[in-house]
Amino acid sequence: MKRLLFIIGLLSTSLLSVGRNVSISAADRPAAEVFRNIVEQTGMNFVYSSDILKDLRISVEAQDKPLRKVLDGMFCGTGIEYRIKGDNVILRRRKIRKEKKKNTKIVYRAAADTSKATMLDEIIVVSRLEAPAVETAEIGARKITAEEVRNTPALFGESDVIKTLQMQPGVAEGTEGLAGMYVHGGNADENLFMLDNVPLYQVNHFAGLFSAFNTDIIRYIDFFKSSMPAKYDGRLSSFMDVRLNNGRTEGHHGSGRLGLTSGAFNISGPIGKKTSYLIGLRRSWYEVLSIPMLAIANSYTEDKTRFRYAFMDLNGKITHRFNKRATGFVSIYFGDDILKTGTKGKEITELWYEDDKFNMHWGNLVAQAGLNYKIAPALTVEFTAAYTRFFSGMTHDYYTRDNTTENATESKFMTKTDNNINDWIIRGDFDWQPADNSRIRFGAGYTRHSFLPGRTTKHYDFNGTNVDSRDSMWNYRANEFNVYIEDEWKISNVLRANIGIHASLFGVGGKTRQGVSPRLSLAWRVSKNVTVKAAYSRTVQYVHQLSQSYLSLPTDQWIPITGDFKPQTADKVSVGGYWESPDGKLTASVEAYYKSMHNLIDYRDEYYLKPPLEMWNARLTSGRGTAKGIDFEIRKVFGRITGHISYSLAWADRTFKDKNGGKTFPARFDNRHTINITANWKISEKVSLNAAWTGHSGNRFTLMPQVWEQPDFGGSYKDEIPLRTGINNYRLPFYHRLDLSCTVNNSRGYWTFSLYNAYCHMNTIAIRRGTKEIIERTPDGIYYTSRPVFEKVKLLPVIPSVSYTWLF
Amino acid sequence: MALSLCGCYEAFTPDIDTTPVLCLNSLITAGEPIEVSVTRTKLYTDESTDLTVDDAIVAIYANGELCDDAYLPREGDRIHIVAESREYGRAEAEVMVPVAVEAESFEWTASLTDVYTGNAELPAYSASVEFNISATLKIPDPAGHENFYGISYYGYNRSAPEGSGDELFSPYPPATYFDMGTFQYSAEPIFSEHIGIFESVMGSDASGFTFFTDRQFSGKTYPLHLIFSSCRWMADSEHWLSEYFECGFEFTLHSVSQSFYNWSNYLWQRDNGTLEDLGNLGLGDSIRGFSNVSTGAGVVAAQSYRSYTIDLTDFIKEAVGEK
Repeated sequence: MKRLLFIIGLLSTSLLSVGRNVSISAADRPAAEVFRNIVEQTGMNFVYSSDILKDLRISVEAQDKPLRKVLDGMFCGTGIEYRIKGDNVILRRRKIRKEKKKNTKIVYRAAADTSKATMLDEIIVVSRLEAPAVETAEIGARKITAEEVRNTPALFGESDVIKTLQMQPGVAEGTEGLAGMYVHGGNADENLFMLDNVPLYQVNHFAGLFSAFNTDIIRYIDFFKSSMPAKYDGRLSSFMDVRLNNGRTEGHHGSGRLGLTSGAFNISGPIGKKTSYLIGLRRSWYEVLSIPMLAIANSYTEDKTRFRYAFMDLNGKITHRFNKRATGFVSIYFGDDILKTGTKGKEITELWYEDDKFNMHWGNLVAQAGLNYKIAPALTVEFTAAYTRFFSGMTHDYYTRDNTTENATESKFMTKTDNNINDWIIRGDFDWQPADNSRIRFGAGYTRHSFLPGRTTKHYDFNGTNVDSRDSMWNYRANEFNVYIEDEWKISNVLRANIGIHASLFGVGGKTRQGVSPRLSLAWRVSKNVTVKAAYSRTVQYVHQLSQSYLSLPTDQWIPITGDFKPQTADKVSVGGYWESPDGKLTASVEAYYKSMHNLIDYRDEYYLKPPLEMWNARLTSGRGTAKGIDFEIRKVFGRITGHISYSLAWADRTFKDKNGGKTFPARFDNRHTINITANWKISEKVSLNAAWTGHSGNRFTLMPQVWEQPDFGGSYKDEIPLRTGINNYRLPFYHRLDLSCTVNNSRGYWTFSLYNAYCHMNTIAIRRGTKEIIERTPDGIYYTSRPVFEKVKLLPVIPSVSYTWLF
Repeated sequence: MALSLCGCYEAFTPDIDTTPVLCLNSLITAGEPIEVSVTRTKLYTDESTDLTVDDAIVAIYANGELCDDAYLPREGDRIHIVAESREYGRAEAEVMVPVAVEAESFEWTASLTDVYTGNAELPAYSASVEFNISATLKIPDPAGHENFYGISYYGYNRSAPEGSGDELFSPYPPATYFDMGTFQYSAEPIFSEHIGIFESVMGSDASGFTFFTDRQFSGKTYPLHLIFSSCRWMADSEHWLSEYFECGFEFTLHSVSQSFYNWSNYLWQRDNGTLEDLGNLGLGDSIRGFSNVSTGAGVVAAQSYRSYTIDLTDFIKEAVGEK
């Protein structure tokens, strides 16, 4: 019999995973499924041959036991032995030792972690860690490991979850350098970001240059963009759940990292026998530079300038095992940004004094408690209670004192704006496996939303004359209830299905809206290595974000659907073909999709002329959108060189009644062609190189080539006014960029050197109307004139960076 | 930040089709003859300055009737302007002349901050009065439709020649000087109702912008607070004449058409807001020029008004002891 060997492994999330304890309960389950569970908990790779595991079923019951003990129990009596080498658990039949073969080929996956698998004297054929696409019914789903995130070069060397996702086919990155994400023609607010299953509203720092996820402590990311699990709803385009590591149960270990822009410290370990903890802290350290630089600059001037910016992410998690059936955890995430600017000035004579202060503070708080309880061997439940809060506070204080007259005058002006969302969430998620060919997930949840999208308080005091104003029109409370059920059904050896439905109610302002989101995906395994799939999914979105820029700013407001607006919905049909090489090293896929979006909400034409104090919906209009395209991808998942090449062909447009005169226009990030290439080359145990090249058709831009003369109404100065044109009528030049990074390991940790935009191709991000100075040399002298020109605005050149991570 | 650190610009010629169109501009004021300016648009890089359209024919309709040259617009009239050119096509726009709103009341107080009379070091009589003005204009907003307002003001000084400012230093006595001081835009929240959170955070303020809507007081009376600080009256003369003291403020409450409000707001957003800058940097959508003309070029606006006066004569007299 031809031997087919498989490796199943997860890329390690830690170099010290072997110290992990494992909690697992399985009764007569397929071995591969049990391995995946252990892999998720430990980050260890499993390396084994398929004929060893063929039809092997495992029963194991362990609560917070060392991995070795669990493995001993699992393989007891199976005729299988294991060895732990590095991050790999290598399995083999006992009898194989006696039947060594010569001249056999050795292949291994994830070279960084499984190179020691070369000790296996067998033919090894590899497969993917995440459930291989040929074996599942899902379309457009990926489980992205922490290592993949860390291996993707990024701006300032800060590995970034969202910038890694930007390299996925079908995901447009938006504006260069920012952590924007536009999935299959959708908008930025149509992606649901979750941290351990709890929604986050603000996922960026520093206007979007960095995302809020500390990549040093994440375990993996579940990303869905086409066929969505029934559990998820509430956003139109994609769902992303970032899963954090659990605390270690043996020894205290962690890491410290110092980069150009931020530093991070993480530690985890046991508290007693049944409890473990994990703490992660990441913080920027710009102040180290900005404070002394400002102090020096201020020492030369009367006016004192203030500037301080910092961001921070704090994660904490405590896990406690109550008994064999119940494990509980509490976790907290606090991420915030602080920006303080201003000037303080006075005349030398002290007749005039001025103090101008801006303070901005925004961020996210997530507090969560969960209980995993095993009701029966085939039925588990996870109860979650969570509180998630997005907050943003901005104050502007302006004070002047004028001593030039006999009676000094004082003037104070203060404006304060609050913008926040508070969600209280309770939910129960059940996982039931009534039979080998069926896995049913179902659950229900309730969320109490409280939106305060914008409340502005103004106070003016002039020599005791006070004027106060406060608008409190914007305050919404909403109740959301949802239920779901789905069945992952293996109909036959060649046919799989995932059938589900998600239903929701959303009550706000005395009106209740409902949404029903059916989900269906079918997979037909044409051959061992080829599967074709088809899927339909509907998504419903009740909240949306108002943002006047592509930056991620504290002024962005999340608003529930109110008034005459209806919930946004999207219907998406996808088909795909998937291939996996016999040795599992290569995968290829082609996915086509058509997405129809309804009741989309956007700013209407000249919305900025409507006073913002007015009800927000007067500035908005409702419409529809379509997106269609094909994503091709080839991925090499194992070996010394890993990576992927993807190509996307896409169209995306929008039509709104009160925008662009009601005419259809292309979406801003309607990038017709997108090519992404990533490569990770593990040169040796110590050195690895990473490269990422991206190229895509330029973003759309509204270019107004004509102007008219500004009329003289009331003495305003003459200028030129742009003649309006169709929205996004011009495509910017082709965008391309290469990022490189190199990781050098040593005994204590590793250095990371990176180059953003390695060949310094400064890409065009906009076009503006400017002027060009012309110098004319004549016998009479040199004359300077200026000529109006269109100018390409180019942004980022090559940016080098370095960081060091210390492991302990 | 990144752009300021390392961004750059590169001149180029975009490959995009454009066709010039007619541009129509007119600010119609109740009771005054209508003037219409007809020009054309041009490519931004076209450096020609002559945008006149020689063959344009303009027709003005009031309430559906073609008007002759003697027509003076009245409050409540619906004005429709049409311009046609063989080369640039047709442009038209319509506007309603708003009905002026009479203030329910106009109250004001002046408070002294500094008085000076006589100076031994100077050969002539001289005096100076510094003070603040606080006024409240109660606007009874007509119910049933959207109304748009604007405030304008100027200071007058009867004894100074028109366009005065430095008369104190004039060689020809009598010399007086009146300075309106600083208008405190921040004292009236409604002047900043058009400023969004983002603009506010970026430091934009209402300075210079005195247009507002009735959206916060539709159908009700709104007390508009007008505060001037550091106002100053000065005189330098051997003999006090009563006209020296004749100074004050003239306030005008404009009822403006929506197009006038939008136009003014657009200019503020362009010059003081953040959207234009964000659009130019590719960090936001470009804002498009406001126009209520069918071609997208030009503005046809209308207004009517009522004026109110703060007469400071007695206040100044009392301050310098001449009353």
